[in-house]
Amino acid sequence: METTAGPSARAVRRIERSRARRIDLLPYVLIAPAVLLVLAVTVYPAIYALRLSVTDANLVRLAAMEYVGTNNYQKAFGDERFLVSASQTLRWVVVVAVSQMLIALPLALFLNTRFLGRAGVRASIMVPWVVPSAVVAIIWRYMVDVDHGVINDLLVRAGVLTQHVNWIGSPVSAFATVVLAQVWTGVPFYTVTVLAALQAIPGEMYEAARMDGASAWQRFRYVTLPMLIPTIALLLLLRTIWLSHSVDLIFLITGGGPGYANYTIALYSFLLTWSQLELGYPSAIAIMLAAVLLIASGFYIRIIERARDWM
Amino acid sequence: MAAGRFARALVNTVWQPIAGALIVFLALAPFAWIAIVAITPESALFTRQIEYWPSEVTIANFFRMFELSRFDLAFRNSILVACAVTALSIGVSISAAYAFARYRFPGRHALIISLLLIYMLPGIVLLVPMLVIFKTLGLVNTYTALILAQATHAVPFGVWLLTNYFAGLPKELEEAAQIDGCTRVGAMLRVALPLAVPGIIAAGLFVFIASWNDFLFAFMFTSGDEVRTLPVVLRRFIPGESGANWGPVMAGAIMTTLPVAGAFLFFQRYLIGGLSAGAVKG
Repeated sequence: METTAGPSARAVRRIERSRARRIDLLPYVLIAPAVLLVLAVTVYPAIYALRLSVTDANLVRLAAMEYVGTNNYQKAFGDERFLVSASQTLRWVVVVAVSQMLIALPLALFLNTRFLGRAGVRASIMVPWVVPSAVVAIIWRYMVDVDHGVINDLLVRAGVLTQHVNWIGSPVSAFATVVLAQVWTGVPFYTVTVLAALQAIPGEMYEAARMDGASAWQRFRYVTLPMLIPTIALLLLLRTIWLSHSVDLIFLITGGGPGYANYTIALYSFLLTWSQLELGYPSAIAIMLAAVLLIASGFYIRIIERARDWM
Repeated sequence: MAAGRFARALVNTVWQPIAGALIVFLALAPFAWIAIVAITPESALFTRQIEYWPSEVTIANFFRMFELSRFDLAFRNSILVACAVTALSIGVSISAAYAFARYRFPGRHALIISLLLIYMLPGIVLLVPMLVIFKTLGLVNTYTALILAQATHAVPFGVWLLTNYFAGLPKELEEAAQIDGCTRVGAMLRVALPLAVPGIIAAGLFVFIASWNDFLFAFMFTSGDEVRTLPVVLRRFIPGESGANWGPVMAGAIMTTLPVAGAFLFFQRYLIGGLSAGAVKG
């Protein structure tokens, strides 16, 4: 028996090995269209941005662009507007990300309890997420309008203000307006994600805690919160990345104004290109932003990599 | 005593729906308010005293928006661009995602990581080079420019979401199909693809909504009404200091939002799963 089975088993193994060595082309064929598209629309422009960032290119005299080395990068650190933009970017990200989380966390905890009409509440709170940023901007620009704004009207009626205020006219209230708009549209996404994480916590953990005599607060503190920390950390990281390059609402509601008080790096880069048709310097500052975000992205990817067995 | 206990029981069952209603109010009130403005006659909007419910209701603002701008063209453009971006990016994402989920091949891991990094790349970095590339190729102010620009985000997103989805489907059905004589591509098309329909709907809708809502690329790469999308047209009506056609603008804002909000509410069962499971949660 052994003499006949032995060689055939070895043969099978040999066939398997040779099959493994031959490269299977099918997966490469399947990924080719997506990879080629990404190479064309993302990788090539990204490399092109690096090239533009070391030139003095301007859209109106593109042919005459000259190599200027790292001048654009050095220039940024002596540029008052860039320095303001950098610190405002940080303020914008921290204030928005933290406020969204402070609202979303209790909201998700509440929506995780059972009550009449919960499904309706869950569905309707998602609406702000789907509203286009141009519409979000219009809504909140109107809410704070000097003449027709609801916020002015309500505050005057309540006696807090004696007359209508131009909210987007002063740096802090202009900032607050954009933060309000961004928080309104951003909370739903946070809430749904935290809610999903809450629902993934096994009920037995609460049972066990209750049997050990844990109070409601202790169950939250020692069961819910530790289970939520990974999701919260991921969300904050992801939001940090998104918020620091978001331009829409700031541009549409205040234009970064008054003056350049509320510029962010992304907005500054965008405005340089849009209004002055500059290409080199805005590329350089966008790349500096991207480089910082790349580090954050690296962390994010490492974390989700561990959570996905298929990666 | 009994009355006190009854009151407490009543409060316990009632506070949650009341809190829920309050939350819904906060989420929807700003949007509801512009809907009210949209049906308020323009004459009533010029007074400083706000009418929270208009004494007179009109739909004139909706028609007025079409007179003030080429809103008809903007609608057509938004639909065309969003459909094209969705078809293109989901089309290439399905096959790539299937390969990433079902095959192990050299370079796979590096490619997935690169796609994620590219997904995280700020759009602002691509704005400048794309402007130059599109200008050189004569693509500024064309649908092609908008579709390609929006695909930068849509393709990595689609691949990521769908890879997650395919990876969660049981492999055994495809293996059974192959044992029964189906080819590998046949098993993918006839077995895996139909099973992945909910995931494909979710990914497609996310891409459609993102494209419909996109402002930055659409604003940067268009200069004429023939290709401008709804958000870009709306932007022209956001006033700097004061003075705006608030009635028509709000009508325009409502018309811009309703298609995506409607699609979202209709398909929310698919979307919420994708939102939390595929897109962010680790």
